[in-house]
Amino acid sequence: MSKDKTPSYVHQNKGSLGKRVTNAVTSWLMVLPAVAFLIAFVVYPAVNMAIMSLFYSNATKPYKKFIGLDNYNTLFFVKKDFYNALGNTAYYTAGALVSIIVFSVLLAQWMFRSRKLNNVAQTVFFTPHLVAGVSAGFIWSWLLSSQSYGLFNTVLTSLGLPAVRWLDDSSTAMISIIMMNTWKNIGYYALIILSSMKSIPTEIYEAARLDNASSFKIFFRITLPMISPQLFLLLITITTGSFKVFDSVRIMTNGGPGDSTRVLSMYIYDYAFQRNNTLGYACSAGMIMMIIMIVLTVFDFAFVEKKVHYQ
Amino acid sequence: MAQIEFRNVSKYFGSNKVIENLNLTIEDGKFTVLVGSSGCGKTTLLRMIAGIGPATSGQVLMNGKDISEVAPGKRDIAMVFQNYAIYPTMTVRENIEFGLKNRKVPKEERNRLIDEYSRIVDMYNLLSRKPSQLSGGQRQRIALARAMVKKPAVFLMDEPLSNLDAKLRASMRIELKELHQKLKTTFVYVTHDQVEAMSMADIIVLMEKGEIQQVGTPEEIYHEPANVFAAQFIGTPPMNIIDMPNGYKMGYRPESVVFTAEKPAGDGYRKKGRIVTREMLGAETQYKVELSSGQAVMVKIADSRFREKQDVWITVEPEHLHYFDLSGVHYSHGGAPELLAEVVGGMNDV
Ligand SMILES: Nc1ncnc2c1ncn2[C@@H]1O[C@H](COP(=O)(O)OP(=O)(O)OP(=O)(O)O)[C@@H](O)[C@H]1O
Ligand SMILES: [Mg+2]
Repeated sequence: MSKDKTPSYVHQNKGSLGKRVTNAVTSWLMVLPAVAFLIAFVVYPAVNMAIMSLFYSNATKPYKKFIGLDNYNTLFFVKKDFYNALGNTAYYTAGALVSIIVFSVLLAQWMFRSRKLNNVAQTVFFTPHLVAGVSAGFIWSWLLSSQSYGLFNTVLTSLGLPAVRWLDDSSTAMISIIMMNTWKNIGYYALIILSSMKSIPTEIYEAARLDNASSFKIFFRITLPMISPQLFLLLITITTGSFKVFDSVRIMTNGGPGDSTRVLSMYIYDYAFQRNNTLGYACSAGMIMMIIMIVLTVFDFAFVEKKVHYQ
Repeated sequence: MAQIEFRNVSKYFGSNKVIENLNLTIEDGKFTVLVGSSGCGKTTLLRMIAGIGPATSGQVLMNGKDISEVAPGKRDIAMVFQNYAIYPTMTVRENIEFGLKNRKVPKEERNRLIDEYSRIVDMYNLLSRKPSQLSGGQRQRIALARAMVKKPAVFLMDEPLSNLDAKLRASMRIELKELHQKLKTTFVYVTHDQVEAMSMADIIVLMEKGEIQQVGTPEEIYHEPANVFAAQFIGTPPMNIIDMPNGYKMGYRPESVVFTAEKPAGDGYRKKGRIVTREMLGAETQYKVELSSGQAVMVKIADSRFREKQDVWITVEPEHLHYFDLSGVHYSHGGAPELLAEVVGGMNDV
């Protein structure tokens, strides 16, 4: 027997030069399609946007006149509407994040408990996810309408409660949009949570019951930590998704009443395509939006992920 | 203090009848060992006592009172699960502490208990670890500590030592026996290792296919097996069972055989055979002997001078012979002159 106890795979990288080159080439070939897509559809547009943000321009002449950081100056120090859009976006994102996560977890917990209702409930709550965002927006505009056909107000008034001017009131418009998007998304996210709840060994729950733990304690000390990897996934996807919200706002309020629901993506859209010679300005807003999203995601990975329990 | 009683208990999983009409009393303060082959229903019984897998029908009583309505956490029972079931998201300390906190044990008392019991299971240095950073045996020891620290009236242990190495297992066995002697509470201990069962039990409950085969002290089960199953389950190697011409079965322990090279004098059970294999075990030697009838029997004696392929004579004195009737139930031990006559007349070699 050989004296060398090191397993053979440790030497893999010490192979002949030819072998190493072949290995490297194969690895690169395998990731090439993904990298190509990334460059064509993410890196190239992002770089382009960064360059365009330094120009005074419109859609037909994207590089009309170089003006350096002037667009950013206008964005931060001249106009005040960017801060308004940013604030609206933050409000929407925080609201949607909390509402979707809380309701998805509750829904999942409920479906997990009662097996019989489970299948029906899954279908019922998942269906909205299949509806196109634009259609869902229209449906909810009708439901929330202040006209006589608005279902919500019909129910409220028939119960003797005062009608609410949902989308027509700047204090409830954003909340209405959050409600719509919660309705649209919880079925999908609850499914993710439910499957991770199902993977928790039942003996752990039994041990906890023998340890005299209340259902409340079992939920917070066992279920939540056990599904934390999925909650983290939800945190990332919902944050980035909500930050880019566009279609539901465009359909339901078109930024109004006033500018109370004008979110960042609508703001960018307006300046890019609805006004004259502000394409470069829209690009600078897009840059800021991209940077904020990167910072948020990095923050999540750097600080929140530490609290996640991985098996 | 707790006595547990099963009354006409049945357990079905769908249409699969795992246990039917089982009656059993587990005595207060005794170290009872449930032993039986895999899938015979040992875990199922423990889960009924704990209240986490209720019976389909029948009653489980604790100190004479039906406990079906009592929540698992209020039963004063601790269980070591077969797959440990420790909380993966909590540290070793938190795992042990969880049940104490839920019982509102004060902080200093908790710390003192955690300290004491983590030392008993030799996990004191690993209290801040997460379970994923522990070996299987270490996880099993947390499960043990988590149960012991609660000082319950009934300990349920589902193969709690199966993943420990021989040395640690031996020391944990002693630790558990001492704990039992100290606490004098009811222990129900599941194993499928008959050596463990024999060495630890006050009372052994032997099960097979959801039915209880025998309940008795280790001595009773060894010397007076209730049926062929019990005779063959306990003992290493198990009792030799030989078919008799009338359909009855005769049995004798490998340890009660006398070996000679020459034909022995006198009558009784005398058989000629040839040694097939020989295993020297230290103080004893184990031989596999093929009888002239073609059947192989095991022999375990102190004498190690016999060799493979050697012709030998087997003698078993009448008081060591067991007889089992047509359904396998123990019929007689030693006595039964009519059966002995049949052995001598019809079965002996010349
Ligand atoms: N949840 C369940 N659903 C269906 N059948 C089950 C379930 N739990 C146990 N059984 C069946 O019940 C029988 C007894 O199981 P049990 O777990 O009590 O066996 P055991 O004696 O503990 O075995 P082992 O020594 O392998 O742990 C087995 O045949 C098993 O297949
Ligand atoms: Mg079992």
